[in-house]
Amino acid sequence: MTTAGLTPRPGWLTGQSTGLRLARHSLVLVALAVVLLPLADLSVLTRDPWGELARMARGLAWPAWGTVESPMEAIGLTVAVALWGTLGGMVLGFPLALLFARSRLVRAGCAFVRAIHELFWALLFLQVFGLSPTTALMALAIPYAGIFAKVYAEILEQIPGAPRDALSPDVGRLSRFVYAELPLAWTRLSAYTRYRFECALRASVLLGFVGLPTLGFQLETAFREGRYHEAGALLWLFYLLIASLPWWGHRRLIPLLAVGGVFLLAPWPEVNGGLLWRFVSQDIWPPALLEGDWRGLIDWLAKIPDLGPAIGNTLLLGLLGSVGSLLVALALWPLACRQFGYPATRFAGRSLLLFLRSTPELMLAFVFLLLLGPSLLPAWLALSLHNGALIAFLVARHADAVTPGMPDATGAGRLAYELLPRIYPGMLALLYYRAEVILRETAILGMLGVATLGYYIDANFEYLLFDVAFFLLLVTALLNIAVDALSRRLRPREAAIIDDPCQR
Amino acid sequence: MGEPHDTLLSLTGVDLGHGDRVVLPGVCLDLRRGERVALLGQSGAGKSTLLGALRQQLGDTAAWCPQQHGLVPQLAVYHNVYMGRLAEHSALANLWNLVRPLAGPWRQVAELCVALGLEGLMRRTVGQLSGGQRQRVAIARALYQERALFLGDEPVASIDPHQALRLLALIDARHTTSVIALHQRELALTHFDRVWGLRDGRLVIDAPARSLSLSDLDALYPDALYPDAGSDTAASATPSTSPRAEAGSRS
Repeated sequence: MTTAGLTPRPGWLTGQSTGLRLARHSLVLVALAVVLLPLADLSVLTRDPWGELARMARGLAWPAWGTVESPMEAIGLTVAVALWGTLGGMVLGFPLALLFARSRLVRAGCAFVRAIHELFWALLFLQVFGLSPTTALMALAIPYAGIFAKVYAEILEQIPGAPRDALSPDVGRLSRFVYAELPLAWTRLSAYTRYRFECALRASVLLGFVGLPTLGFQLETAFREGRYHEAGALLWLFYLLIASLPWWGHRRLIPLLAVGGVFLLAPWPEVNGGLLWRFVSQDIWPPALLEGDWRGLIDWLAKIPDLGPAIGNTLLLGLLGSVGSLLVALALWPLACRQFGYPATRFAGRSLLLFLRSTPELMLAFVFLLLLGPSLLPAWLALSLHNGALIAFLVARHADAVTPGMPDATGAGRLAYELLPRIYPGMLALLYYRAEVILRETAILGMLGVATLGYYIDANFEYLLFDVAFFLLLVTALLNIAVDALSRRLRPREAAIIDDPCQR
Repeated sequence: MGEPHDTLLSLTGVDLGHGDRVVLPGVCLDLRRGERVALLGQSGAGKSTLLGALRQQLGDTAAWCPQQHGLVPQLAVYHNVYMGRLAEHSALANLWNLVRPLAGPWRQVAELCVALGLEGLMRRTVGQLSGGQRQRVAIARALYQERALFLGDEPVASIDPHQALRLLALIDARHTTSVIALHQRELALTHFDRVWGLRDGRLVIDAPARSLSLSDLDALYPDALYPDAGSDTAASATPSTSPRAEAGSRS
């Protein structure tokens, strides 16, 4: 019998099935990253990275608890800022969520405030409110308002419409909302808010990097001065804080924490209205623009340092970080999944993922930077590890729920035939969602000395050139919005989304 | 029921559908006061479309019991029933009612729940109820609206025959006119005055129930095979080789 009548054997990765299409899609992404890799500065600039790493590891293994100054106050302040920042974001974001679908202006405004990282907002408000709780709260509340508005609106959009349709058409808007919409969305809204609070805790720690007295302030100082045992103790404190969140962050305790937080945050600064107005109306705008002098404006623009390399680095790091995250996630998720390994290996895998995703990316980058020097390499490692671990964690949880159709298949067979085809589309979708976050983080890594846009923003704030700094912030935000739109377009359509609002 | 008198609603050659998509072209029918109408047809024949159009035209005069109940699983039975009259209270009263049930509505809903066998469940969230209990909550919500007319999209679909009779009797006792989509052909003949039968987007039966037989109704279900439809009428029902049987059609 000849094979003439049979379907011919397909070539390499040819075919139109979802899996093959996504595989080709991913390979193109990886290839693009590999081709562009030579453009990135990945040199190791320090002399003895391994020795330094060993010293840090020793610090983490033998933390010096006694050396930490007033740890409870730093922890309390970290929690208070995170809590009130989240609450502020909710109060501002919820009404916006109701307008989100209807108003293009609201959508654009939210996209703008979201596109600027918490730390940049902090740098901006620092100029007006100084090192005060107002700065910290505004830095969290404003971008979170934009995020809450978008995510709440998406959640409310996805609730089933049947209960709403069952009501008489004469029912008022408010009554309809509280009876037939809010209860249906409640679980997901509160789950997302809780997740955002966890993000706020990390961001609150990071605010220490710009000088606010949260945990991050002591952490940065200790690391920078090479007091690794003290830094180790502070890091452990932070991990304990995150790990014990389910207990102290109980719903009933939140009001108590909120009231206590107000006392911790005090004293509030006196806001000088005139100064604030001058900052908003004059300081952050180029003088030539305010005078309507177009020739002057062109001169002003010409004096801004060449942004090409900075933008290029930001985008390149964003791409490398995304591809790195994908690879890290692919390598790590089986470690934490109940379908593989033994209880001991799974415990180790889950701990590793928890460690990597709880450590703020800026913190990771900071540590790698001390180890490797200010090239793109530490930033790339930090972005890939943090975001890869986060994706791996969500994917592993998703894979835990899968019941294999062929229970006998184990190891590679189970991975390649049972699990990957089911979870890979969701994984890729997560990555594309995450790309926006990665790019936002790329920019702030500049504050550590990596030559992205954030480096110039930080520098110009330092020189009190607010007009230039603000202009660069606008450029960063626009870049972010553009990349978000692009990733939305490139995202594979068939990608079934892992239904978890806590993915962005 | 007495003799049907005046016409509540009359459709003459109206196209019904969703947006631009016409599901039921050129519908002609009259709905008379005091008439109990059973609406039959396969899934997808357009029953919900027709009921939706009736609901829209009849507006406030009709109580509405939707398919799949349209309940809010996170709210208590009491609040779900209360939602039937949400429009009659101010937004403030509705909000307060979520904090503490209003006295009057609580009493009325409690009475309804006794009649429907839901006593003791008023504070239970609907998500914790069984399918049959949810169905009764949906009916309770429609009854609570206290309208003269009842429109129900399969309100007794997932209920055992004995209980279905009891619920239909309850609906009849509280409404002068009703249009109810059904799966149970026998019920349509025994408990209704008139039958509307939909097939392939057309109203093929519009006749008094007493003038119809089960075999007439079989013509509405071309995909189903009824071995129990009666040997002498089996030939007139469209024969089909498909073994697919409509769920609930064999009662």
